[in-house]
Formats: sequence, C-alpha cells, structure tokens
Amino acid sequence: MEKEEIKQKIYDLVVKSTGKKKLKSSDIQKQISSDTGCSRDEVKDALKDLMDEGKLIYTYFGGSYVELPPNQ
Amino acid sequence: MAAPQRKTDIGPPHYKEYLPPVIQKNFGDWKYHQIINPGLMVHVANSGDKIWTVRVASPRLLSTDTIRDIADIAEKYCGGYVRFTTRNNIEFLVSEEKNIEPLINELKSKHYMIGGIGSGVSNIVHTQGWIHCHSAAVDASALVKVIMDEFADYFTTKQTPNKVRFAVACCTNMCGAVHCSDIAYVGIHRKIPRIDHDNIKNMCEVPSTVACCPTNAISPDPAKKSLKINADKCMYCGNCYSVCPALPIADPENDGVAIVVGGKVGSLRSNPKFSKLVVPFIKNNPPKWPEVVEATKKIFNAYMAGANKHERVGEWVERIGWEKFFKVTGLPFTFQHIDDFTIARETFRTAATFKW
Amino acid sequence: MPKKYETPMLDELEKGPFPSFVTEMKKAAAKSDMAADALGQLERCFKDNRTHWKHGGIVGVRGYGGGVIGRYSDLPEEFPDVAHFHTVRINSIAGLFYKSSFLKEMCDIWDKYGSGLTNFHGSTGDLVLLGTKTDTLESIFAEFSSRGWDLGGSGSAMRTPSCCVGPARCEWANIDTLDITYATTQEFQDEMHRPAFPYKFKFKTVGCAVDCNAAIARADCSIIGTWKGKIEINQDEVANYAKSGMNIQTEIVNLCPSKCMSYDGKTLSINDDDCVRCMHCISRMTKALKPTGEKGASILIGSKAPFVIGATLSWVIVPFMKMEPPYTEFFDLVRKMWEWWDEHGKNRERIGELIIRRGMREFLEYIGVDPMPQQVKEPRRDPFYFWKEEDLAK
Repeated sequence: MEKEEIKQKIYDLVVKSTGKKKLKSSDIQKQISSDTGCSRDEVKDALKDLMDEGKLIYTYFGGSYVELPPNQ
Repeated sequence: MAAPQRKTDIGPPHYKEYLPPVIQKNFGDWKYHQIINPGLMVHVANSGDKIWTVRVASPRLLSTDTIRDIADIAEKYCGGYVRFTTRNNIEFLVSEEKNIEPLINELKSKHYMIGGIGSGVSNIVHTQGWIHCHSAAVDASALVKVIMDEFADYFTTKQTPNKVRFAVACCTNMCGAVHCSDIAYVGIHRKIPRIDHDNIKNMCEVPSTVACCPTNAISPDPAKKSLKINADKCMYCGNCYSVCPALPIADPENDGVAIVVGGKVGSLRSNPKFSKLVVPFIKNNPPKWPEVVEATKKIFNAYMAGANKHERVGEWVERIGWEKFFKVTGLPFTFQHIDDFTIARETFRTAATFKW
Repeated sequence: MPKKYETPMLDELEKGPFPSFVTEMKKAAAKSDMAADALGQLERCFKDNRTHWKHGGIVGVRGYGGGVIGRYSDLPEEFPDVAHFHTVRINSIAGLFYKSSFLKEMCDIWDKYGSGLTNFHGSTGDLVLLGTKTDTLESIFAEFSSRGWDLGGSGSAMRTPSCCVGPARCEWANIDTLDITYATTQEFQDEMHRPAFPYKFKFKTVGCAVDCNAAIARADCSIIGTWKGKIEINQDEVANYAKSGMNIQTEIVNLCPSKCMSYDGKTLSINDDDCVRCMHCISRMTKALKPTGEKGASILIGSKAPFVIGATLSWVIVPFMKMEPPYTEFFDLVRKMWEWWDEHGKNRERIGELIIRRGMREFLEYIGVDPMPQQVKEPRRDPFYFWKEEDLAK
C-alpha cells in the first residue's frame, strides 16, 4: 500500500476517535496494520510523516496520545 | 536573526569530547582513589597520572549567572572541565596539583559549600515542589535547604558511621529514589480529590481515569457523565489527578510530609532496601518546616549514637529492631505504620522474638 | 526592569550555609520577567500552603512527542509571565561531564529564550531548562540541535538513559557505563522522541554494585556491572590498611555478607566461590583488592516508584551478559522485552508491573531466557503452579 494511503487511514482513524477514545501510537500501529496488512514499521513511518507535517500531534495526559492539533 | 536549522534524532554529543585529557588518556585504567577530605579526592591511574576532584554543593536549581560563574572557575583551574553528580553536586576536575589550593580558596571566597565526599551527609536528591510542579503536596527545595542547613557540618567536615543519603519527593509520584534512601520525605495528602464535574467531560478520559486508581476507588458516574470516588477505598495518592486534571487534590489544611527511613540502593554488606514509614504526617509549615527538622534530628541523633562503623541507617535499624527504633527515637507508633496495602502480610511479625 | 515582588517567606530561605535556591531565583528574576513572576508565584505558594501550577499536555516541538513538559500557572492574571512556563529537557552527556564553553553557550541561549532558571539535573538526568513560552520552543530546539544537542525523553517513551561516572573516573567499573549509555541513547532515538510505549521506560547503568546512580531502585532496566573471576589480593596493601588503623576482622571480614573471607592477623584470604560481589571489602580496601577475570553486567528489570502496586526494586533477569560494542545481544534482548510489553501492556503499566501481572514464565519464554536460581531469592512456597503440555512431555 502507498504511504499516502496509509497516512490517510491513520488520519481518518484519529478523526473518528476524537472525543471518544484517546489513541496511543501503538493502538494506531496495531489497528492500521491489522486493517491493511502493512507492517508496523510502515505504519510507524507514515505516522512520523503526519507528525512532521503537523497534521497530527502528540499529547500527554498521564500517558502519551496521538491527537489532532488543537485548532482543528 | 533567524534561528539555525534544526536537526532531529541526533542524540547527545559523544561523551569523549567532554572528558578532561587526563581522563581520556586513563579511561578505564584507574588504580585507586583516596579521599583527602570531604571536599577533595584524588584518583590515581595505573600510569601514575592523577586527577583531583573538588566537590561543592548546589541547590540543583541554578541561574544562568551561577552557571557562568561555575564555567569561569572551571576555565581558570580545570581547563574548563567540570561535571555534576547524580546528587546535584558540582565536581571541579583538576589535572594540575598546583591549581587545587587557589581553586579551593576562590570557592571559599565565593561561599560555595565544599564537601559531600565519603561517610557523611551528601547533597539531597529531590523533586520540583512548588517551584514548578502541579502535583506537589509540599515544597521540595525548602525542605532540602532547611535539612542541609541543619546538617551542614556533616557535609563539610564531620563524619557519620556510613553515608547518610537524604531525599525529598513532593508527592507520592516520587520523581526521585526516595523509596530507597536513608532518610526521606514524601509529600502526602489526607483527603480525597474534589470532583470538578463540569470539567471531567472536556479534560478527562473516563476509562483511563478509572483504571489508574491503585485501590479501584474510582468508578464512572453515567448519570452525571462524570466520576465517583469511593471515600472508603481512596488513600489520597493523587495518581488520578495526573491523569485527569479535573480531580484536584491539593489541600492547604491537610497536606504535609511523611518521613521514611532505612533504605539503600547499594549492595554493600546487605542487599538494597526500601525505606519504611516512621512519621506518617507533619503538617506543612512553610517556609522552614521546623517540625520536620526536629523529627529528623531525633532519627539522626539516635543513628549517630547507636550505629556501628560502616552501618547505614537501615542496617542499624535492622540490627536493633524496629521496636527498638521507635523506643530510642521516641517517635510514636500509630495505625498508619501498619501496612494494609499490597504487601501487608509480608510485614507482620511472625515470631514471638522481639524486644521490650 | 522585571517586576519586583516582596518575598518575606522565601527570604528566610536565603539564610544559612547551604546554597539557596531563592538566591538563584532572585538572580534570574533581576533579568527575566518570567523568573520574576515565578518567584512571585512561589512566595504565593508558600503563603497559600499549596502549589499554583497546572499541567497540560499539548506542547512540544514538531515531530517529537517528548522533551517538553507543559506547565501553566493557575493564577495567570496575577503572574502573566508564567501563564506558560514549560520545561525543556536536554539530553545530558553520559556521566554528566561538561565543558565551560558549552555551559556559557547554553546560558546565552537560555537567557535569550527562557527564564534563565535551570536544574542541574532533573531526577532522570536531563539538563532541565525551567520555564519558557510555547512560541519559543522551536527556536530553542533549533539552537540546541544545530549545536549537536538533542531533547531528552518524556511521556510514554524511552527516557534519557543515565549512568554512574564509570571508567571515566572510577577503578571499580566492570563495564563502560558511559559507552553503554551513549550507544543505547543513539540506538533508540525513535523510541525516545516518538512515544509509543504503554508508559515510560528507563535505563540506568552502573559499573558495580555500589550503584552510584540508584539503578536498582529507579530503572525499568538496571544494568549493573559485575565480574566472574577472583578478587586479587595485594597482601602488602592489606598490611598497610591494618597499620593505618583499620580493624580488618571487624570492619571487613565480619561484615562480609557471604562469610567468604578470613584474616589471621597477617594474611587475608577470600573463598571466591562464595563471594556475592557486594563491594564492601573492595570499597574499603581499594588499594588491596581488585576483581579479575571476565567482566560484564547483570541485567535486572522492573524498579519504580510506588504507583500503582507499591514500590519495586529491579530483579535479576539475565545474571551475566558481556557488555561490549556493538551491544547486539543486549539490544536484541531489549527489543524482545518491548515487543512483549507492547503486546500486553495496559496504558500506564510499567514493564515490571506487567511481568508481575502475567508471570515471569511468559516473559522469560518470550525473551528467550532460561529459568535460573539467580533470578529469585527463593523458590515459590505455594503448591499452585501451571503445567504446559510441553512440560508433561519432558
């Protein structure tokens, strides 16, 4: 699967979970990798891109989570 | 001027660049060291080379002015090389013997507190406290200051039977190894968190807040879209506040300090030990917490009077027995001293052999 | 000129011989509005008998999930310059060595962008820059990283590994604690900066069982240097210690935990087979006693502060491992441990707590380590244990 496609799936998953369940990086890696058959490393790499582009951010509330930036 | 180009994932610089030349040359090839006095030691390499270390205390919190002064001193006498210890001391690394005396003279003239090496009181490992922490039940730096002022002579000149390691943690999160120190202070709460029902929804995730409680005292309150706390189960640890900011627990009337003693991390003579509770609560009394200092003096003086050479506080207490510890220190024994958490039964006395 | 607050309570803490943190804050407050408000708010904390900080978790530098800790005043109107007052963690040098040139550069950067207040060091061993605003974080990161310094760890990630002074300045180091720390930090940069663990993970490396970095009490993975050969005895130096007033019988022989030493007034002997390498005798007679033979480390897992099940000390997993570059065996072991923890760990569950919850057998089998008596103080006391099909077939 193309990296851009994985990125979109990750982004959609985070959008869907917002306000319902805070996702950890490993939740995303497990979920996307089982949905798509991609390796964990591929998902991790796509997630890193989303972070570097500022589309997603890490947050901390007694544990580290992946969320949308606050202004979106 | 624009900031320079950022780099990621580079890690810290390599340590070799920061070692004095005599250390680079004799790395891993040291023969022995000798403590000349509590402020000065020398390490001798198999090559015959020597490096002297002059140790001074710091309050850990340092201004850039003071760091510049430390850097200037290091440049003058140490070729610019200086290190810090895990207990927040500053170590000036001297390669030339002739620089030791003028270094010590300059440190003295600037009122640096020189010492902390060997069997005595070294600097105190501690946490942020009210200077910078949201969950602090007590200030940390102030406790460090009043305890170190009280026992200053044991840092600079006087000896104890073995090292006495103090530690301060401003809450039960314990961002320092206070659970294994000779004498340590822990900030504690005594009342359950208040529930800010309006903010739970925005600020907190219910399942993770429920799950974080060590005693399962927290449950969902679906009617209010909030949480409930079972007051009979809560032991005021504050873990939930770190996960959910809408559960404030700070309470000026009921927060204070517990004292625990007898821990150690080294394996010398006896295995590492946890610190045990000896004073369950002393109410916060800023700025100088005099009651904490008084209780500490009782413990410290009893140790000085009773311990054999090389015994740490915990080894001394184990030799005489905890029942005798409470007798010789005069500290009261209460219900709070008897464990009712996860390892309680391991701590009950399963023999009729004890002292009166 | 920054604001000036009356601080009668804190002023009390400028008296006495020990260096005063209040004096440090006042020095910074003379130059920085942020430090001035931090001082003013601290006096207020002392007056009110409580903290006035709030935590919050959406600050950081782009791409990283750690290294910056969000902190906000709960009295932002009164103390506007600490409305944001975030911490930046800089990954310190292994062994906490510095050069004056770096310290001065660091001070210039920090005076420009932050409060001028620091911690040398945080409990985990980071160089801590105490107090800055959200919009300066990227500049601070660029200034440090362009000079070769990276951020440390925070959150559910590998935290900044730390060690004792080791072979740099100690004759007792059995392993190169600085190199292990540096190599581990470099090997796992992604695990440090992009938090993906159930919770934090700390490495601490010490050269011997004296444990000058409290590895056994505060590291998920404690690496403790040790050896397998004999303790070499220099009898002339033993005689010198006796001559200089040491009572070798009471101070050394009687305090040996495994009772493996004897002394006849002239000669000191050690039954090396019974030695547990506690370091008491060596630390007291450093000129006379020297470990020899194969050097390496014991790998222990699981120590942490009391949340959630009570404080733990690390326990032995691998009794002996050679620790030599490129540390392949060690890094492979670490990756296996993390895989298992990632698979089963709950949010905020440390690896030691997970081992206690699911059992040592599952953990040891997963990482491929055999059961050994060195891993326990004593065998179980209860008769309630599992059998697997493969055990029955044996």
